[in-house]
Amino acid sequence: MSAPVISVRDLTIRFKTDEGLITAVENVSYDIAPGEILGVVGESGSGKSVSAKALMRLNGGNTVYDPASKITLNVPGEAPVSVLELQRERDMRQVRGGAISMIFQEPMASFAPAITVGDQMVEQLMLHTDMTRKQARAHSIDMLNRVGIPEPAKRFDQYAFEFSGGMRQRAMIAMALSTSPKLLIADEPTTALDVTIQAQVIDLMHDLVAEYGMAILFITHDLGVIAQTADRVAVMYLGRILETGSVRDVIRNPAHAYTQGLINALPKLDDLDAPLTPIPGDIPSPLERPKGCVFHPRNTQLAPGSRYEREVPPMTEVSPGHFAALFPEDVARAG
Amino acid sequence: MTENLVTIDDLSIHFPLGRRVFGPPPVVKAVDHVSLNIPKGSFVGLVGESGSGKTTLGRAILKAAPITSGSIRYADGEVDYDVGSLSGDALRDYRKRAQLIFQDPYAALSPRMTVRDIIAEPLEVMGLTKNREETDARVREIAGKCRLNLEHLRRFPHAFSGGQRQRISIARALVSGPSFVVADEAVAALDVSIQADILNLLKSLQHELDLTFLFISHDLSVVAHVCDYVVVMYHGVIMEEAPTRELFANPKHDYTKTLLSAIPSLDPDDRHRARVYAPEG
Repeated sequence: MSAPVISVRDLTIRFKTDEGLITAVENVSYDIAPGEILGVVGESGSGKSVSAKALMRLNGGNTVYDPASKITLNVPGEAPVSVLELQRERDMRQVRGGAISMIFQEPMASFAPAITVGDQMVEQLMLHTDMTRKQARAHSIDMLNRVGIPEPAKRFDQYAFEFSGGMRQRAMIAMALSTSPKLLIADEPTTALDVTIQAQVIDLMHDLVAEYGMAILFITHDLGVIAQTADRVAVMYLGRILETGSVRDVIRNPAHAYTQGLINALPKLDDLDAPLTPIPGDIPSPLERPKGCVFHPRNTQLAPGSRYEREVPPMTEVSPGHFAALFPEDVARAG
Repeated sequence: MTENLVTIDDLSIHFPLGRRVFGPPPVVKAVDHVSLNIPKGSFVGLVGESGSGKTTLGRAILKAAPITSGSIRYADGEVDYDVGSLSGDALRDYRKRAQLIFQDPYAALSPRMTVRDIIAEPLEVMGLTKNREETDARVREIAGKCRLNLEHLRRFPHAFSGGQRQRISIARALVSGPSFVVADEAVAALDVSIQADILNLLKSLQHELDLTFLFISHDLSVVAHVCDYVVVMYHGVIMEEAPTRELFANPKHDYTKTLLSAIPSLDPDDRHRARVYAPEG
């Protein structure tokens, strides 16, 4: 077992707003090992993107990290970097595009429209590596080729608008991987794509992990995509991880009522008669954060006056490596 | 055998792509020789990827996209319209009978109007009610059917979550008492836990109000659950159409097979490489 590439401990993120301090992420902890894909699944407002952006310190100026939060980046052969303690912008370069790369939902918005794709790839290589312009060009064309873009030398000199949606996302991935990051953060990388293209991008991710051995933090709202890509999954709701474990354990034997609700709400193709069961209620506004377990107001399994209304349940082990935010007595009963 | 509410015959919608120095201007064939029947009381799913022409087809039925050739007929027993040639009073009457539910409940609702005014606007614009009391009564009736809290009618849309907003936009679409509704990606912008609620609402409204739906979606699993008939489009052409069960159990066309196999399975052990659809030529 190799050391985790990234280790997140008790990450709590708040935003200063006109309406007061808003908690976006609370006590989130996880590790990702090299070659591992961790899927983070959650609905809007779950804090999945905010927590990922913290790894690269990409959240806005009104962000407040709790003093107890710790994010440690381990690059083999180098001293561990404590990401949240980085002060100067130039020090942050090592986590922004160097050891960590990120790809986004909308690749069109991530490429500058008036600069060729090739120039953008070369620019970041010159920033993060000691390559000459010529080497950077050759390496970029090679990367475009590896992600399955036909005629990479020609594509290199084109603009992002000349690419189709799937090609653009491939180019984005090629660009993100050209600096050989140790961790790739993929924030809803397939959400804007058609299903057939999504399936190809998922294949590409698997191939690249096999080839480069980097770790991937894969953020999505789609449990099906998680089932197809990730090794382990963390289910987030209102800034907290409510359940985490191997994809098989969590999807087959969800322990937390929220994970169960998410799975029941999904239309399933193998049983067209199964009723679609929505999770009752709505996602509360960030200003009205529930006390105790953040999910308790929508949890129909709880009796009125239960502990979950007042106390935050700990992450309790349900089966080896599979944890859920439940009080131990509930885990014992379930198991 | 139920009669057809909407009958589309050999419909083409082409958009010109600017001018060329040599030769005729190229066109985008958004919809190309499409024929389709939508029976009364049915819930027809129209699936396809981006650029398949599904939205253009839906808009053409609502007379919101130009028709290049072919015809669309709407016959609900009271009226019999050739949609392409509607104008004046007949078009106004058609607007009352055929309505659209939009994808994005955040963009579709004016932030400066109260929920009551948003839902009442179609009634006022179309002059369907005689006075304010009648409008209010109609708004309250439809809001109740869409399971909106009547006390919320005085609030503004920003106070609501995505699911509630979509209920407001459904109420607005249904307030004029249409018999045909085009729902264009009506749940695509919603979170999973809320999507199921809106789908169930649409189904119950269909029975309660005797509606016919054209449900446009890119999400095959959603379509599988709510629609009784599915039409698959690709590049402006219908590739396959069949009753839902038949289509999912036994897809005939290679493109449909590719689409079905691309749906990410919830089973982590059912991982397979993507199929690529490569039409000949």
